Amino acid sequence: MTNILVCDDDKEIVDAIEIYLKQEGYQIYKAYDGEQAIKMLKEQNIQLLIIDIMMPKLDGIHATLKIREYSSIPIIFLSAKSEDTDKILGLNIGADDYVTKPFNPLELVARVKSNLRRYTQLGNLNVENNALFTVGGLCINDDTKEVTVDGESVKLTPIEYNILLLLVKNQGKVFSIDQIYESIWNEEAIGADNTVAVHIRHIREKIEINPKDPRYLKVVWGVGYKIEKQAT
Amino acid sequence: MEKMENKEALKQQELSENERNQENGEERKKREAGKPVKRGKKRKGSRKSLFFHTLQHIALVMAAFFFVTVLAGSYVIVDTRTGTEAYRLTRENQGSFEDSEMFNHLLGSSVSDIICYGTIRSQMETDARYDPGKEIDVTAFAGRYGEMPREYITASYYLDDLIKWSQAGFSTLETYMSGQEADEFLSRYRVVTTVDLSDYNGGTVSYLNSDFSSAVSVRDVSGNLLESGDIERDEVNATVLKNRYHTVEGKNIEDYVSSWEEYYELCSNVKKAADDLNINYKEYLGYKDYYDSESSNIVYFIRKTIGDRTQIFSNMDTKAESVSDLKKELLEKCDKYVFYDAENVLYDTNTLIEETTLRYILNGYEYAYPENTQIMIGVDSGYGAADGFLQAKAGFGNYVPYMWQYLVGGVICLVVYLFLLVILTMKEGLVRRKDTGEVFVNLQSEDYVPTEIMALAAAGVFAVLFFGIKAASGPVWHLSNRVLLVALAEAAVLLISLLFSFFYYSFVRRIKAGTLWKASLLRRIGRMLRKGTAYAYKNSTLLMRVCVPFGVFTLFNLVVMYGLSRMATGGQIKIGGITLGMLILLTADGVVGYLLYNSAVARQKILKGIERISQGDISHQVKEDGMRGDELVLARAVNSIGDSVRAAVETSMKDERLKADLITNVSHDIKTPLTSIINYVDLIKRENVDNPKVREYIGILDVKSQRLKQLTDDLVEASKISSGNIVLHWEKINLVELLNQTIGEFSEKFEEKSLYPVFRTAKNFVFIEADSRSTWRVIENLFNNIFKYALAGTRVYIDLGSFKGQDGEMHVMLSIKNISAQPLKVNPSELTERFIRGDESRTTEGSGLGLSIAKNLTEAQKGTFEIVMDGDLFKVNLIFPLLEEK
Repeated sequence: MTNILVCDDDKEIVDAIEIYLKQEGYQIYKAYDGEQAIKMLKEQNIQLLIIDIMMPKLDGIHATLKIREYSSIPIIFLSAKSEDTDKILGLNIGADDYVTKPFNPLELVARVKSNLRRYTQLGNLNVENNALFTVGGLCINDDTKEVTVDGESVKLTPIEYNILLLLVKNQGKVFSIDQIYESIWNEEAIGADNTVAVHIRHIREKIEINPKDPRYLKVVWGVGYKIEKQAT
Repeated sequence: MEKMENKEALKQQELSENERNQENGEERKKREAGKPVKRGKKRKGSRKSLFFHTLQHIALVMAAFFFVTVLAGSYVIVDTRTGTEAYRLTRENQGSFEDSEMFNHLLGSSVSDIICYGTIRSQMETDARYDPGKEIDVTAFAGRYGEMPREYITASYYLDDLIKWSQAGFSTLETYMSGQEADEFLSRYRVVTTVDLSDYNGGTVSYLNSDFSSAVSVRDVSGNLLESGDIERDEVNATVLKNRYHTVEGKNIEDYVSSWEEYYELCSNVKKAADDLNINYKEYLGYKDYYDSESSNIVYFIRKTIGDRTQIFSNMDTKAESVSDLKKELLEKCDKYVFYDAENVLYDTNTLIEETTLRYILNGYEYAYPENTQIMIGVDSGYGAADGFLQAKAGFGNYVPYMWQYLVGGVICLVVYLFLLVILTMKEGLVRRKDTGEVFVNLQSEDYVPTEIMALAAAGVFAVLFFGIKAASGPVWHLSNRVLLVALAEAAVLLISLLFSFFYYSFVRRIKAGTLWKASLLRRIGRMLRKGTAYAYKNSTLLMRVCVPFGVFTLFNLVVMYGLSRMATGGQIKIGGITLGMLILLTADGVVGYLLYNSAVARQKILKGIERISQGDISHQVKEDGMRGDELVLARAVNSIGDSVRAAVETSMKDERLKADLITNVSHDIKTPLTSIINYVDLIKRENVDNPKVREYIGILDVKSQRLKQLTDDLVEASKISSGNIVLHWEKINLVELLNQTIGEFSEKFEEKSLYPVFRTAKNFVFIEADSRSTWRVIENLFNNIFKYALAGTRVYIDLGSFKGQDGEMHVMLSIKNISAQPLKVNPSELTERFIRGDESRTTEGSGLGLSIAKNLTEAQKGTFEIVMDGDLFKVNLIFPLLEEK
C-alpha cells in the first residue's frame, strides 16, 4: 500500500484529490497547513507528498525546505501560482514536480504515478548497458529499441524513435528542424518543412504527461528542439 | 471612407507582395508551380505609346528624307574641266534637260573651251597632230593679239625648244662689255622679216600672216653704219640672255640684232613666246584629254583656211567634205548644236547660246580665227561618254520630275509629325489603372533628374548637334553620293528626333505631374538654404542669438555716435567731450549687454529644461540660482510642471503595477475555487448520471469552467504585458524555424477544422532578435485565432519576406492570411483592444485577449502589429527588424 499525503488549505480540493487517488488504489492522508503536513510525515510512512504553496501557518515552500532536511520522498507542488518564476523557485528548493491550479485530475494522477515509479523502482537500474540511454524517467534501450517513461513502455514509430534517440544521445544540444531532417532522412533539407515538427509533437504526446508543458522534449522556439538535461 | 482606405492599403500591400514574390526566384517558383504571374497592364499601354512614338520618329525622318532629297537634288554637282561645279535647279521645275539653264551653261562653257582649244591646237599642231618641230616666229607670236609692223626683227625656234626653255627658266648674265666686246657680241646687221600683204585680204599684218612662209621674206639690213668701221660701240653693262637653244637656223639671238634695244626686245619676245607656249601646252594637254571623243559628249568641228592652208580641228571621225554634209552628220548625232560660219556670217543654233556670245568669245581669239572659219559644236544626244553632261542629265532627271511629289510628301509627313506631337503630348505619361480606372502620371527614371540639369543637358546636346551638323554639313553637302548624303541627313534627323522626344516628353511629363518645379535644383537649393538657416539658428545657443545681434547693435551705436560727433564738430574731433560721450555710451551698452547676457543664460537653462522634460527626462530640474524676475518665475513654473508630471507618471506607473498585482492576486483567488469546480464537475461526470438533462448541464459546466480558467490565465498575462511587467530574453531566432515548429504544433488542430497552412518563404533562414517564448506566444495566439475563427476548409497563407524600410534598414514581414467564417464587423484597430472579438455575441470560445496580447508582445519586441481586413479576408502583418547574417 502506497501512502500519499495531500496538503491544501482548501478542504474540497483535498477531498477531490483523495477521490481520484483512492480510485488508483493509494492510501491518502490529509493535512490543511504546513505544520500539519510536517507532523503527519513524521508520524506516518508517507511515500509521496502533494502540497499547496499558499497556506496558513506554514506555507508550502518553507514546509518543503524543512522536509528536505530529512526526507527524499517525491514532492509535488500544487499551486495557483502559475508564473515561470514560481515554478523555478519551487523546483529549485527541492520539489520534484509542479502542477498548477486549476489542474487536470488525470494529469495529476499521471504525475503522481510517474514520481512514485521513479522513487520506488528506478533507483536500482542497471546503468552498465552501453545501449541504454536515460534522461530522468525517460529510458531508451537501443538494443531492444524499447522506450520507457518512468518504467512504462511507450510505442514509437521508427522515425519518432530515431528522432528521440538522436536528441537523447545529445542531451542539452539544440537541433534545428533541418539538422534533424538531415540526420534522420539522410537527405539534404531543401525547403523548410514542418514534417519534423509534427513528428516531434507526436513524440511529445507519447512521452510527456502534459505535452503542452513538456518535461523532456523541449521546444526552443525559433531555434529547434532539445532534450533537457536532468539530474537523475 | 475608412473601408476605402483599407482597401487601398490592402491593394498596395498585395501589389508590393506581388513584386516581392517575383524577386524570390527559384524556390518560390517551385512552390507556386502552375501559377502564371500576371503583369503587363502598364506594358500594354506603353507598347501602344511606343508604337506611336516610333511612328512619330518615322514621320520626321520621312519628312527629312523628302526635304533633303529636294534640297540635295536641286544641287547638281558636275565635273567640269576646271573642277566640280554645283548647279542649282531652282527655276527649272519642268521641261527637258536640254532646255535647262544648266545644260546651256555647260554647253556655253564647252563652246568657249572648244574655241580656246582650237586656238591652242593651231599653235601646237601640224595636220591635227602635235608637232614638236613646229617653227615658231617669236615676235609674231608674242604680238599675236595686236597689229604688227610690216617689217620686224624676229627669230624662229622649234616649238619644243621654246616649251622646254620656259620650263627650265631663263637665265641672264650681267656683263660689262667694252665697245670692242660689244661689237663682237652683237651683229652688225639686223635681220628683218617682211610680210607681203599682196596675197592676203584685210590689209593688216597679223600673227596669221606670219604663218605662211610664202608671204615672209628675210633680209639683212645695216642699220647703224658700224660696218664702215668709223663708229665704235660704247662700252656697256649688258644683261645677256643665255642661249639655251638655237634658232631654227642654228643661230643665237644676238645674231639677229645690231643694237642693244633690238636685242632686248627680241629677248623679251623670245621669253614671252616661250612662256605663253608653255602655258598653252599645259592647257592643250588638258583640253586634249577632256574633249576627246571617248570622254566627252561634245562633238566639235572647226575649219579655217589661211592662205592656201586649211586647218581642221575636230573630234569627229568623219570623211565628209562639205559644210552641209558635216552639218548633216552632226545633226544626226546631236539634238543640240551651235553652228557658225564666219565667212557667210551665218549663225545657227537651237540652244540658248546667242550669236553675240559666240562672237564675244571668238573676239578674244581673233588672231587664230580668220574670217573663213567654220565652227560646229554639238552635244551627243546619246550621252555615251561619262562627262559633266551625263552627270547633269542624271541629276536633272532624278530631281525635276519628282520635285513636287517630294515636297508634298515632305509636307504630309511634317503634318503627321505635328499631329502626333500634339496627340502624344496630350497622352504622354498618363496611365490608367485597369482595376481602379484611376489615371496617374507615370514618371520615368529620367524625370527625376533635376530640371535645370535636364534643361542644360538638352541645351548642351542640341548645341553640340547644331555645331556638329553645321561643321559636317559643308563636306557632306558636297558629297557626290546623294544616297549617302540623304542617309546621313536622315540619321542626323533621327538622332535629333530621338533626343528631342527624350527631352520634350520628359518635360511634358514633369509639367503634368507637377514636378517641373519640385524636381528643380533651384528649389532644392532654396530648401537646403532654408533648412540650413533654420538648422543653424536652432542649433546655435540662445546665448549666441543674443550676443551676436547685441554686438552688431553696439558696433552700430559706436559708428553712428562717431559719425554724429564728426558732423557736430565739422570734422574736427575734440578729444575731451567726444571721448567722454563715447565712454558713457560704451558703459551704458556694457550694462545693457550684461543684463541681456544674464537673461539669455537663464532663458537658455529654462529652454534646456523644458526640452529635457518634453523628451521624457521628467526628473530634470532647472537650477534657479542666479535667476531674477521673470526668469525665476518661469524656472519655478517649469520645475513645478516637471514635478507634477513626474508625480503623475509615477502615480500612473504605480497604479498600473498595482492593477497588475491586483489582477494576479485576484486570479489566484479565483483559481482555487475554480479548481474545486473543475474537479467536482469531473467527479460528477464520472458518476453514472442517467438523467440526460443533468448530463447536458454538466457538459456546459465543464466547458464554461475551462473557459474561466483560460480567461484568468490570459487576463494575468495581458495585464502583465501592458504594465511592462515582463522580462524579455533577447536572442537570435530563426522565424522560419519558429513558423515550421508552430505549424507542426497546430497540424492536428488545423486538420480538425480542415485548414491548410501554406507557408511561403524566400529564405530558409530569416533571423530576428527577439524573445523566443514571447514570439511563440504571438504566433500561437494568431494561430489559435485562426483555428477559432477561420472558415473550415480554407487555406491559411503564411508569407515571410524581407524588404527595405524607409529608414534604409532591412525588415522582416510576416503576413498571415485566412478567411473568416463569420463576417467581420469590427474595426481592425478595435480588434486588438482587450476583450474585443470578431463575433459580437461572444458565443464562441476565447477570452478576447489573444490579439491584444499578440500585439503588445510584438510591440514589446520592437515589432509592428497590423491587422488588415478586406471582406472576409483577415490578415495580420508582423514586421520586425531583420537581423543581418554575418
